[in-house]
Amino acid sequence: MSTTGFIFSNLNSNTLSLLTSDRTVAAIPFACRYRLVDFALSNMVNSDITDINIIANYNFRSLVNHIGSGKDWDLARRSGGIKILSPGQEARQADGMVYSYRLEALRSIRDRILELTSDTVVLTDSDHLCNIDLGDVIDFHRANEAEVTFVTVQSKMGELTRIPQTAIQADAKGRVTDIVKSTGFDPDHPLRSIRLFVLSTDFLVRSLDEAVARNYHSFTDDIIMHSPEKRRFFSYCFNDVVIPVTSFLEYYQANMLLTKDASVRNAILGKWERPIYTRVHNSPPTVYRDGCSVSDALIADGCVIEGKVENSVLFRGVKVSRGATVKNSILFGGTYVGAGSSLNCIVSDKNVVISDDQTLSGAETAPFYIAKNKRI
Amino acid sequence: MYCKKECIAMLLAGGQGSRLYALTSKTAKPAVNYGGKYRIIDFPLSNCINSGIDTVGVLTQYQPLALNDYIGKGAAWDLDRIRGGLTVLPPYQNGKNADWYKGTANAIYQNIDFIKKYDPDYVLILSGDHIYKMDYSKMLAFHKEKKAACTVATITVPIEEASRFGICNTREDGSIYEFEEKPKEPKNDQASMGIYVFSTNVLLEYLEIDENDPKSSKDFGKNVIPNLLRSGERLFAYPFTGYWKDVGTIGSLWEANMDLLAEKPELDLRQRFFRIYSRNSARSPQFIGKTASIQSSMISEGCSIYGTVKHSVISGGSVIGQGAEICNSVIMDDVVVEPGAKVYYSIVDSETVIRSGVTVGDPNAGKNRITVIAKGSDVTENVEGTVETK
Repeated sequence: MSTTGFIFSNLNSNTLSLLTSDRTVAAIPFACRYRLVDFALSNMVNSDITDINIIANYNFRSLVNHIGSGKDWDLARRSGGIKILSPGQEARQADGMVYSYRLEALRSIRDRILELTSDTVVLTDSDHLCNIDLGDVIDFHRANEAEVTFVTVQSKMGELTRIPQTAIQADAKGRVTDIVKSTGFDPDHPLRSIRLFVLSTDFLVRSLDEAVARNYHSFTDDIIMHSPEKRRFFSYCFNDVVIPVTSFLEYYQANMLLTKDASVRNAILGKWERPIYTRVHNSPPTVYRDGCSVSDALIADGCVIEGKVENSVLFRGVKVSRGATVKNSILFGGTYVGAGSSLNCIVSDKNVVISDDQTLSGAETAPFYIAKNKRI
Repeated sequence: MYCKKECIAMLLAGGQGSRLYALTSKTAKPAVNYGGKYRIIDFPLSNCINSGIDTVGVLTQYQPLALNDYIGKGAAWDLDRIRGGLTVLPPYQNGKNADWYKGTANAIYQNIDFIKKYDPDYVLILSGDHIYKMDYSKMLAFHKEKKAACTVATITVPIEEASRFGICNTREDGSIYEFEEKPKEPKNDQASMGIYVFSTNVLLEYLEIDENDPKSSKDFGKNVIPNLLRSGERLFAYPFTGYWKDVGTIGSLWEANMDLLAEKPELDLRQRFFRIYSRNSARSPQFIGKTASIQSSMISEGCSIYGTVKHSVISGGSVIGQGAEICNSVIMDDVVVEPGAKVYYSIVDSETVIRSGVTVGDPNAGKNRITVIAKGSDVTENVEGTVETK
């Protein structure tokens, strides 16, 4: 009995468009030193899943660069380990585009799935961040002899989402009784899927055969929403912190939440028995010079801080010069903030240079994004 | 298998470093923490890989657990190779004999088979006791150019301290005519850095001679180098300019850490083309809270700072509580300084807890009175001075 992991690197990239102009969703930098995929990968590794496939479709150069041999996640293995599956010919749709649905992606790697010797698979996107023991979910799945187990959270009153989410109704034992799509709180379907699934391999293979036979494209629309009450579908309700990163604003708010809320920080990054692994860069420790002032900031190694930093997330090698102020901002690796400049609600992509005495400001509900390598 | 290398390095990492007291009671000196995220051995190992030397024998003896654990198979320095790479060389049993390494020369002598395996033209002898960045390939080129039998790297030291070192007396062309180990009255200020390049045949010949000399104390500085000179071999001094620090004492280790806090430190850890690599652990980013105040300090990943940190180096995973004050100190890995505790002029070894309200060290102590707290201590009352492991 073993488990194989599949990570979809680039579903829903259109809603994160600014950050995904030259990278996949999985490779979006997050919280000083991570990429989104690190959370899915670390959850698997920390739950002894060491045969992992990342399904890429396009723009995956920075992802390949990040993963390397997989050594930093302890996934450089002779048996199993990590593989990045690039799109093959069969992934092309009639219109020449690569797949955009989960099921299409899986169809394109059907050969690989038929070779699996594991009894269960974990499928996950990279846009819901949590620190979860997947071993518990898999035990739950096996104990129920489930075909699919959905990891879910309780949706909250008044909650709205831009893209429709899978809303689930389940009985007391977690058996799924109905599934709908919803953009808000639905009292009849109070559980929301975080797009992290455990499937029995057998069910996955049968679904793929059916998808080929009937030309299905969407896992949600064509497979799981067809009379779910007749299947063995279960909901595993996860009662810990889950941070959705499905839009640019959510991305910004997620980073800000980490600087403000110690309980969220601990739930995601602070579990010593389940650390989040990432690619190692050998940056020296961060230097804080005389006259700097820092509060509620998450900071990576390799930075030099001379000015003022408040409620911000600084990636590796950021320099905040004398007299500069950085507030409510996210500065990616190598950002340079010149002397006397002032930033508020800014998301600066990699290697942005902000010269001396500039004032830039976005709003908390509409942070201002500065593209990679730009000079201001 | 064909493994010929032009030059291999032998890194002597077995020393106890007894003048670091509590810091080395359970750890070999090369594994002592430095600069927030490094260990002393990161410097010679990174120098090797940055100098194009990809075959390194690391000779261990004293308290090797932490050191072996840290270096692993050398992956952190890109030294996990199919051909060459890093090999840990502990003392071993041999027929009837089982010998500890009796001196630096004997340690190399016992590993002649390792050297012969790579059939190198040159052997670089290093020690794991110093903080410096050096391109050994330049020293090797110097050695070849001078057609030397042995080249000794030297550095200018203050003349009043020269009697602590091995002093090279040289002619105008840089050739050495006399080598004095710790002379009472030094003739000049050119100290040996304990870094030697040997032509392999010369090394093997003189190691054999030294091994068979019952009066020898089997040491490079005391025996082998003077012996080469007596036999009229070509010895040259290779003058090194740049930051070099012998961190053999508490005071010098503390000072080497403080050197990093200068506005423009002499030892530049930020250079991209000569990186110092180290073993990284999966730690979260550092978090600086609202109540924190940090001035001219270096802080590493995994730290949470809520108190005051002035002119100090804080290593990975340490927590400095609200109202706590750290001044002119070195805090190693995973230390907890509880709210309200004070630390002045101290080196606090890893996994120590300093309880609320306790004062460690003296705010007026200065460089010559550094307080040392041993690894894993639980400090519940005020302390000052060297604190030994219980």
